[in-house]
Amino acid sequence: MSMQVLTKFFLTLFLGGILFSSCQKEPIYEVNNENLYLVSADKDKLKTNTQYIAILHANLFQKALSANDLVEIQKLIESVGDKRVIQEVIISNFLNKPGVIIPSDFEMLSDVDGFIKETYERFLVRQPTQAELTYFRNYILQNAPSNTQGRFAELIYFSFALSDEYQYY
Amino acid sequence: MDRRSFIKKSALASAGAITMPYILPSGRLFASTGSAMAEYVVYVLFAGGVRQQESVLQRYLADSQNVNFEGNIMYNMLNGDPPPAKIAYGTDPSVGPSGSNPIPSILSQSLESQGTLFPEVHASNAGHYGGLNTLITGNTAVTQGLRQKPLFPTLFEYTRKHLGASATETWFIGNTINNSVPLLNYSVHEDYGAKYGANMLIPNTTFSSLGQEHLANAKVYHPEEELRHVDIMKNFLNKNWEINGGLTLADIGNTFEEREMVKTYMDGVLNGQISIPFPPVNDNGDLRNLGYACSVLDYFTPKLTVVNMSAVDGCHSNFTGYLQSLHRADHAVGHLWNFIQNHPVLANKTALIATPEHGRNANPNSILDENDWFGYDHSDSNSNRIFTLMAGPGIQSGLKVGSESNPTGRATDNVLTIAEILGFKSEVQASGALDPQAQSLFDRI
Repeated sequence: MSMQVLTKFFLTLFLGGILFSSCQKEPIYEVNNENLYLVSADKDKLKTNTQYIAILHANLFQKALSANDLVEIQKLIESVGDKRVIQEVIISNFLNKPGVIIPSDFEMLSDVDGFIKETYERFLVRQPTQAELTYFRNYILQNAPSNTQGRFAELIYFSFALSDEYQYY
Repeated sequence: MDRRSFIKKSALASAGAITMPYILPSGRLFASTGSAMAEYVVYVLFAGGVRQQESVLQRYLADSQNVNFEGNIMYNMLNGDPPPAKIAYGTDPSVGPSGSNPIPSILSQSLESQGTLFPEVHASNAGHYGGLNTLITGNTAVTQGLRQKPLFPTLFEYTRKHLGASATETWFIGNTINNSVPLLNYSVHEDYGAKYGANMLIPNTTFSSLGQEHLANAKVYHPEEELRHVDIMKNFLNKNWEINGGLTLADIGNTFEEREMVKTYMDGVLNGQISIPFPPVNDNGDLRNLGYACSVLDYFTPKLTVVNMSAVDGCHSNFTGYLQSLHRADHAVGHLWNFIQNHPVLANKTALIATPEHGRNANPNSILDENDWFGYDHSDSNSNRIFTLMAGPGIQSGLKVGSESNPTGRATDNVLTIAEILGFKSEVQASGALDPQAQSLFDRI
């Protein structure tokens, strides 16, 4: 083998080494799927009467209220001075209608933490803080079993729908 | 404890609390410094725009349609004989011209005879909402915008703050959800505001077919065993919201017991357990609204009740309808006074004061109605002419103060007048929020 051929061989080997060593596979970074929630402090816009009713109906029935009903209920809200009173009346009418979707007390008590988290997500579009979780866990466990009507979960939904935070978005 | 007995006991407890000395939000024990002339006041916003010519001047068609018939079509409120002919303001007979049956008088003695009339009063505002604001705030409301809460404290707020009245002791009974009427139950004034606001109902809407459809079928919860839990959990949520910098909602401050009372009342009306003492003739919204006002008076016996009417505003395009509405507004006030005087609690302890929010023009527009009578708008100086009529304990009977040539009183006087009747005039004067020219009407006598 001549010197010239030997030089070409080593040169090819050298360049090939450089080429292959520079083509390492890059790692691929991805983002895990996570639910994003508002924090309560970000809610600074008061829902209009229409928004409140539309969202309340969707939260309780998991479906939209008809446009006609929306307009009619909005008028009724305007006709009463104490908004809390008229909201209570409207909620208790909604809760008396067929089709409202609320877990039973048995379901609630079988997974109290899960129920609380689901309720916060449904109504307040966020996760409860540890303090909130603890409070509601204790309150439910202390009071729900003695509720003779067996509708404590419904009362919790009622309180969330009336809360100040629920009035804002 | 059942729901009924709970409400009853709560109401008794509330009444007891009211009669016991307590520290008011203003920091004083027993706020009112003056002595009250009456325990209750009913304030009628005789609104919609009433011309002096067809009301206190009793000119009927003579000053409006060049038809020479004069007479009094408000004989529950004012002294004077009705028109002798050309009757179009009454109800429709089975046979005969439309409106030719005058509504019989309810009162055997007119309110003018029983009280004091200021026949020529100055209204500073010729717009409906501005005029209502003037009557309810005692301020000329020149900067008041439409679709905006009153800028100056309302009579409700003065009453609650300075008399220590609870939320259910002050009521505004509005006649419509339109024209910003529902905004009148409290102001945005920084020293007063929502926490001193009145309960309000627009009964012709709340108790209409809409109310029957959406409000009448409420699920019944036990107030103590169930709704208490709702209140406790809601308060926890609200406290957390507040701690985390959440915004505060406007709240008129009904207590838990008061909210239950209001809900029970609404439910009672919607489900027919509470019957409404409508006037004998109740064929328009004003008359029905007055009937509901009587019902609220009966159920809550408020310290202050304000009720408004506005059907006469049809005068823009229907003068015949205007006369009919004016005649019915008088019928409504007659019924209201009769109801009060026959009520076991309110009789002889209640003062009534009625004033239009503004008048109407001297000259007509070009719109003719079914009788070829011209309509009237409200924009000229004649629109600034109104009257005030009041009656009740401490109010002189048979007295007339002022005349067409000697105007006496302002629309802004009424707030101070009512404050004097209820015994907190000096506190309202000290608020600095009144029209500087406002006086109690008692000081103008």
